[in-house]
Amino acid sequence: MNSVFQLFIKYGFHLIFIILEIFCFYLIIQYNRVQNEIFFNSSNVYIARLATSTNKMYQYLNIRQVNDSLVRENANLIENLIRIEYINTEIPQLDSAFSQYSIIPAPICNHTFQLANNHITLCKGRREGIEPNMGVISEKGIVGIVRNVSDNYAHVISLLHSQTRISCAVQSRNTHGNLVWKTMDPQTMILESVPKHQFIAIGDTVVTSGYSTIFPKGIKVGRIEKFEVVPGSNSFEITVKLFQNLSSLPYAYVVKNRFAAEQLKLEEEVKNE
Amino acid sequence: MQIWRFILLLLVQGLIFKQIQFADEPWYYLHIFVYPLFTFLLPVKLQNSIVLVLSFIMGLLVDWFYDSPGVHAASLVFTAYLRPLILGILEPYEGYNMNEIPGLKRMGLGWFASYVSILMIIHLFFYFSVEAFSFVFIFDIVMNTLFTFTASLFVILLLQYIFSSK
Repeated sequence: MNSVFQLFIKYGFHLIFIILEIFCFYLIIQYNRVQNEIFFNSSNVYIARLATSTNKMYQYLNIRQVNDSLVRENANLIENLIRIEYINTEIPQLDSAFSQYSIIPAPICNHTFQLANNHITLCKGRREGIEPNMGVISEKGIVGIVRNVSDNYAHVISLLHSQTRISCAVQSRNTHGNLVWKTMDPQTMILESVPKHQFIAIGDTVVTSGYSTIFPKGIKVGRIEKFEVVPGSNSFEITVKLFQNLSSLPYAYVVKNRFAAEQLKLEEEVKNE
Repeated sequence: MQIWRFILLLLVQGLIFKQIQFADEPWYYLHIFVYPLFTFLLPVKLQNSIVLVLSFIMGLLVDWFYDSPGVHAASLVFTAYLRPLILGILEPYEGYNMNEIPGLKRMGLGWFASYVSILMIIHLFFYFSVEAFSFVFIFDIVMNTLFTFTASLFVILLLQYIFSSK
């Protein structure tokens, strides 16, 4: 009891101050119209703001699960897109063709984009069904081709590689060419061997042609930025601005073509004859 | 002596200076507050808690005249709370005399003016902030504080001259 009393002597001044101020502010808010309104309005505003930011915080806690489910969702959507592309062709398709392609989402573990030959490592491998020579795409474009796989990892040759040659088409123009990378700029690639009598325009969309077993057709790659005829050549040199910025890519999707082996085997037989 | 000053300042503030109001720009920022002088002139060695309580009563009574329960009381209690700090900062070399009131005659014009100015600025800024109750009105708060401070300081010094010359 004695110590409580001493404590009061020591800090009583501050205590009395706080009590008096609380009482004063109670009076102010209770009996003054202007202050009363401001107090209750602004406390509503602050409480609403607090609730919003808490909500945001909780959302952030779930972000990993949300992200994973979005990636799975994306894989499904891309699969559907490819199916639609094949449905729309005039040639009648067998039912089995609709599920020719399936998509495996894979996070990117490691990648380079500044070298002359760039590579990407995916954190999924043979166990998830990834095999060499599968195409790798993203929501906005193509990424590369699987070269080697181990049980849990896959090694991908990036689009930004001097050996890259991907068969591409200019959408709705009926022309084809090969997409190569020699600009050293991770945003642009060159579409070669489009004959110079073809009509193309700046702004046309470049898509995959589907002439190989690697990529399904109709996947958007980029937009034509400029084109010119190389002197002494018979074809255009077309600069394509990629839709997908390959320098910032957390996820990629591996395209699995169920009939790839069959097609390759048939083509092999023809060659050997 | 203190009780007379209390009543006199209260009545002067509530009956006379309350009437001083202007309608034109920029003079409507100008008010005159002399009642804080009561808190300023309490003896230096008076228990701080008692200073707080007396200031609270003074503030509440002024609020009664101004019809603004708590606003003057809150700011005068705040000023009284900071008074020991300011007295400590301004303490002369030889210290304060035990039962002295920190008035103009004892402490000199320079000391008294700075003492009153510091506490008055604190008091007025707090008062106008609480009156507006939101720093959205910071321009009005500052203008009110500056105009009122100048006028009030002048009146307080004048009152001190008149009453300490006796």
